[in-house]
Amino acid sequence: MEKILTRNIHRESSQSIEVYESNGGYQALRKALGSLSPDQVTEQVKKSGLRGRGGAGFPTGLKWSFMPKEKSKPHYLLVNADESEPGTFKDRLLMEEDPHLVIEGSMLSAYAMHADACYIYIRGEFVHGTRQMQKAIAEAYQKGYAGKNILGSSWNCELVLHVGAGAYICGEETALMSSLEGNRGWPRVKPPFPAQFGVWGCPTTINNVETLACVPFIIERGAEWFAAIGNDEKNSGPKLYCLSGHVKRPGVYEAAMGLPLLDLINEFGGGMLHDDRPLKACIPGGSSVPVLTAAECDVNLDFDSLAKVGSALGSAGIMVMDSSTCMVKALLRIAHFYAHESCGQCTPCRQGCGWLEDILDRIEHGKGRAEDIDLLKSIADNIEGNTICALGEAAAWPVQSFVKRFRPEFENHVTEGRCVVAAPA
Amino acid sequence: MPKLTIDGEELEVPSGTTILQAALGRGQEIPHYCYHPGLSVAGNCRMCLVEVEKAPKLVIACSVPVTDGMVVNTDNERVKEAQAAVQEFLLINHPLDCPICDQAGECRLQDYAFSHSTGKSRFVEEKLKLNKAVDIGHHVTLDQERCIQCSRCIRFCDEVTKTGELAFFERGNQAQIGIHPGKRLNNPYSGNVVDICPVGALTLKEFRFETRIWYLENTPSVCAGCARGCNVMVSVGNKQKEMTSPGQFDDRIKRLVPRVNHAVNGHWMCDEGRLSYQRLDAAPRLLSAQAPQGALIEWEQAIVTGAAQIKQAAQSGRAAAILSPRLTCETMFAWKDLFDELGGVRFGIERIASGEDDDLLLRADKGANSTGASWILGERADAEAIVDAAISGKIDTLIMVADPLDPEDTRRLPENLLLKVKNVIYVGPFLDQTAESASLLIPAAAWAAEDGTMVNFEGRVQLVRRCHMPRGEGRPGWRVVEDLREAAGLESRGWTSSADVLESLAKNVTPFGGITEERVGLLGATGVAAAAAGS
Repeated sequence: MEKILTRNIHRESSQSIEVYESNGGYQALRKALGSLSPDQVTEQVKKSGLRGRGGAGFPTGLKWSFMPKEKSKPHYLLVNADESEPGTFKDRLLMEEDPHLVIEGSMLSAYAMHADACYIYIRGEFVHGTRQMQKAIAEAYQKGYAGKNILGSSWNCELVLHVGAGAYICGEETALMSSLEGNRGWPRVKPPFPAQFGVWGCPTTINNVETLACVPFIIERGAEWFAAIGNDEKNSGPKLYCLSGHVKRPGVYEAAMGLPLLDLINEFGGGMLHDDRPLKACIPGGSSVPVLTAAECDVNLDFDSLAKVGSALGSAGIMVMDSSTCMVKALLRIAHFYAHESCGQCTPCRQGCGWLEDILDRIEHGKGRAEDIDLLKSIADNIEGNTICALGEAAAWPVQSFVKRFRPEFENHVTEGRCVVAAPA
Repeated sequence: MPKLTIDGEELEVPSGTTILQAALGRGQEIPHYCYHPGLSVAGNCRMCLVEVEKAPKLVIACSVPVTDGMVVNTDNERVKEAQAAVQEFLLINHPLDCPICDQAGECRLQDYAFSHSTGKSRFVEEKLKLNKAVDIGHHVTLDQERCIQCSRCIRFCDEVTKTGELAFFERGNQAQIGIHPGKRLNNPYSGNVVDICPVGALTLKEFRFETRIWYLENTPSVCAGCARGCNVMVSVGNKQKEMTSPGQFDDRIKRLVPRVNHAVNGHWMCDEGRLSYQRLDAAPRLLSAQAPQGALIEWEQAIVTGAAQIKQAAQSGRAAAILSPRLTCETMFAWKDLFDELGGVRFGIERIASGEDDDLLLRADKGANSTGASWILGERADAEAIVDAAISGKIDTLIMVADPLDPEDTRRLPENLLLKVKNVIYVGPFLDQTAESASLLIPAAAWAAEDGTMVNFEGRVQLVRRCHMPRGEGRPGWRVVEDLREAAGLESRGWTSSADVLESLAKNVTPFGGITEERVGLLGATGVAAAAAGS
């Protein structure tokens, strides 16, 4: 497949507006403002089958259609650039190397939303990305791609970069809104949903960076073209895959939606890091999704295929683990992440995540009891489904899947009082 | 109006009602911590999870509005498991403070642990350690470990008093309630956070370690602190049980908490009112009738002497009385009735005022029954003018009907007034400075030691109840007047209870038309005539 989302990133001065425009950049925005209504843009995105690339895979056109038809309050488009899911680093790539793609995608989508302002909420740790985006936004304003009377039309839309302050939970759409408003990054109870009552009580749509980066191409080359990329129309388009872990060439790779996981590892990633340490496990979609055993890795990387095997594409953070990996230690590290990042608002996550970490810590350090393994599952089951936001599920699924698929390793830790995974020579 | 089926029963509710409100409205309890009817919905405790048919996950009843045809189950296996799960999560880091925690016996965590948990702990890790017994304000102590992060206290300070002193700090299981740097929880309503805290994280300093709540006898009444007349529950240490130490059942008021009355005080009361019962201890009590220098005299003798002094002075128009604006309507009416029949008595109402009316509950007028006074006593003289008349030798008998709540609020008389006035009769509960400058002292019941009504500033007649026995020989004010009446040779009114006096009030004083104790009930009532007149 030709490079679509990553077509610019290796070009010299790829971040500048001149380089972006010289490669056809901002043509889609011109086309939309010149010849399409906002609803027509939404129709195209619906037809393309674009699904959210932030983790949930929700059909984007459908999400856009939730905004009120009659406009009685300001509308807002929020760009979720708070990329914090462990194993995910694709959005930062776009923001650092092709910020204008992100801007054009955002403005096109803001147009479709009848938005009065577009806020890009960027992760606080992305210092370099912030610099690149700020420069690019200034350039975009200069050329009339943002601000008042965009490209000579009657549409006004401000484009603002807002920097986060180090909380994973601020990538949750309602917590993002709370944070943007200047409050604690606490998720909100839904309903009401953002399209009815979002940031500052106004209709709001929140989309991921990569999702919005697809929109210029949909508008320029057509919904049918986009839908034809990939193995089926429910899982379509170009996709950025984040490969990390025990492979020879970790990195971001672009390919069609539905790329076989083993191809990603072997062809793109150069195969396993050590030839004598075979694949043991893989988390295919960021640490929140259930882990796969090596046998389960013969699967296509798309939303529906992974759902069928009991995992998820999520944010496409593919983390490869070889035979030297202690699954207990890996799970402990993951549990520590969620305990640290839990916002503390609701009971099951606030208390449960810390409890899970404490138990795993004992098991890892030889103080586990036989009943701890079932207790882990029970706690995870008690968190799942009972929380305000999806961080509960994100903390529960790794525990459930690791224990289910690698139970003997946990049992060994308990009976042996130590790790028995063969240490490499 | 959407129809809801809840646990098999059909129910119609107004549009916008949440599942929890629908259940509570029909007397059904769905366990919950963070929901409070006087505050916004938070939805963070997750205890009210219920099953809604066709919904994939359990939903929180406190925030989901009822839609037509909704079918809800609140007590099947799935819901019970979730409730037990949430309860377990709340208990794992909760300190085992029950033996020393004020909340014991009225603690939601205890109650739901009993009714909705497995009763066994699976937690073998080390519990979190946070700050305990933190002084955060004049009246409130915080224990961060006991807190279950329900956010009720924060929402109260943000939404009701709009003072915003409290907030969450830190994240995850380290999330703790704290006070903003440089601030203290000293708003005039700070005590309410203690009421609404479902556990013992916030406790009232004045009640801390005072007693166990199961030793308390609770009587609904009305605060006498100001003209708002907030509805309260008066808790008296009264319930003697085996193993109770003597200090527990001493018949003293241990605390006041607000009662809900949406026509008067909503869910709240102010700190001044909450602690008003402490003023009852500001001076020693007058336990028996006395002459000056503490010479005790028989009740009969006091009454006969007093009646004669009043009658004689009245006959030459040289009698006067100053009445507290905190007396019950019944007591005020009894005195007025006596003065009218005798004729020749100048009377006035003391004025107690401080501060300003605020946006919430506080009234500058601290006379809880000022309105009752104006309805019953009508146009009357200034207390100041009466004292002036006394000093200039125009009065032979001055009756001080004292403040039943606060000895400080009964006017101090000028020194040596007895050189200008022949008789100063003190009728009240305290042996305070005013009493000590009197020539005759007659004990009367203090606030909360007699039944009666008071009218608040909006014309609402409310019942003040006797919560414990009057001290010594003290008795209701109207009974004192009945005795004086008889001794003065006037016809007795035949009143045997405060309800009898109220009946007379309703017949004789127009704004009280239609008022009976039954109509007044627990939430008060406006008089038929008063309502009609819009007064």
